[in-house]
Amino acid sequence: MQKITNNPSALRHLNKLRWLVLTTIFLMLILLPFIHLYQTFVAAHAYDLLLPNEKVIYNAMEWLTGPFVHDPEHDLDLVKGTTWSASLFGLKISDPLSVVSQMAASLSLYWPFILTGLIPVIVTVLLGRVFCGWICPATFIYELNDTLAAWMRRAGVPLGDKVYDKRIKYLILLAGLVLSMLLGSIMTAAIYPPAIIGRELYYAIAQGAFGSGAVFFILTILFDLLVARRGFCRYLCPGGALYSLLGRYRVLRIQRVVEDCNDCKKCNVVCEFGLDPLQDGFGQECNNCTACIAVCPTDALVFKVQMHDQAFQGPGHLGHAYRNKHAEEKSGG
Amino acid sequence: MKRRAFLQSLTAAAALLAASPLIQAANNPSFRFLRPPGSKDEKDFAATCIRCGKCGEVCPNRCIKYLGTENGIESLDTPYIVPREQACILCMKCGDVCPTGAIESVPREMDPILEKVNMGVARVDRTLCLSWQGKTCGVCYRACPLQDVAIRIGRLEQPHVLKDCVGCGLCERSCIQIPQAIKIIPSHTRKRV
Repeated sequence: MQKITNNPSALRHLNKLRWLVLTTIFLMLILLPFIHLYQTFVAAHAYDLLLPNEKVIYNAMEWLTGPFVHDPEHDLDLVKGTTWSASLFGLKISDPLSVVSQMAASLSLYWPFILTGLIPVIVTVLLGRVFCGWICPATFIYELNDTLAAWMRRAGVPLGDKVYDKRIKYLILLAGLVLSMLLGSIMTAAIYPPAIIGRELYYAIAQGAFGSGAVFFILTILFDLLVARRGFCRYLCPGGALYSLLGRYRVLRIQRVVEDCNDCKKCNVVCEFGLDPLQDGFGQECNNCTACIAVCPTDALVFKVQMHDQAFQGPGHLGHAYRNKHAEEKSGG
Repeated sequence: MKRRAFLQSLTAAAALLAASPLIQAANNPSFRFLRPPGSKDEKDFAATCIRCGKCGEVCPNRCIKYLGTENGIESLDTPYIVPREQACILCMKCGDVCPTGAIESVPREMDPILEKVNMGVARVDRTLCLSWQGKTCGVCYRACPLQDVAIRIGRLEQPHVLKDCVGCGLCERSCIQIPQAIKIIPSHTRKRV
């Protein structure tokens, strides 16, 4: 059977690249609070008065950032924030959910802020829900949590694997926005894991203690572990709901090449969002995470540039179902 | 089954909405805090701030902290300053980094700061103040970044707060009396005249 993909082995490595990106962003969220502490120590001009552990932070951060900055107190302000809202070299980028929530809570349009959500919106419209798979610091934890759950299952620990309606998260998005409007306060920020993680890591490192959001986040981890696999992202996340809506007509899609598929179902098992690549069921919730591409033994999953998913193409041509049917037709004819 | 799940989630949402007035805890008057310099009015602030935490992350003086639920759930994770613990040095970096305009960007110059910054106003308790009790002190005056504009001293270094005080809290931070003789009355808890 001929391969249609240009270079399938290269696509397989995208999942590793994704992990690299996820890890980098998570480590940045840990590093930035330390850098903030370092900046305050520099601004205080009192190295000798620092506590021993503060001196360790000072020295480590000086070693780390020294080659890149001339004036740590001001130069290090160039990269600040979290995935919820960041300023990178003067460019402010905010999560679309924060923009929408702020519009709901304040019932006004503040364009300088709305424009900070433009880049993520454009990226999502073109590439789909990529934030969820490629950037979200909560995904980093949840996927590790999912790996842990897989090990525990293998060791015989009974863990829940409930399946709910994926549309619940759209209701939660709606409820979050309505609640924000009624309270006049941005409530979605309190139930959105990536915002919580960025904040709580900062609280823990630079402010001395975790805040109340950490409790919520641990509950979501337990929900994922004990009740439903990747349950929060699949069924509850308001940001995921918004990204799914934005990415509904994404241009870049993972699609199945039916000629290469052997019906092994590995893609369905590995899919973090519980989608159905085996029957061409990607939909608006596919986040182009490429986990299914990496696991596909016959390279039957490829990227395609199209606005809609293919309709179900029937069983894979390398699988038993197709071959048996074909053989029957041959013998019949 | 699908309809049932839908109805269940609808009921949960309705219950949340019904409970929202209960969640709205009353403001605690004994908890005295300031908003960062250039902040909007208290009501608009909670509706505008997206809780990104960048204002605290650029604060070189580490005075910006974040609320838990102590001031009601609507101000969860919003920034605040307790001047006695660590006061604002009016560096105005938080306004520059704020993406939402909850903290307005104000240039670090005298006139814009006097015009736009209104965190509170200092008030001297003369029964506690050393200078007013005849023991020359004047520390609050010397800590003030807006000397002779926000505060002036008279006989025996007795402090007089002027109407241009922006409420940064450096006087309260520096007061050597325990409890402090000079306090910032936050603008969001002062009665409008």
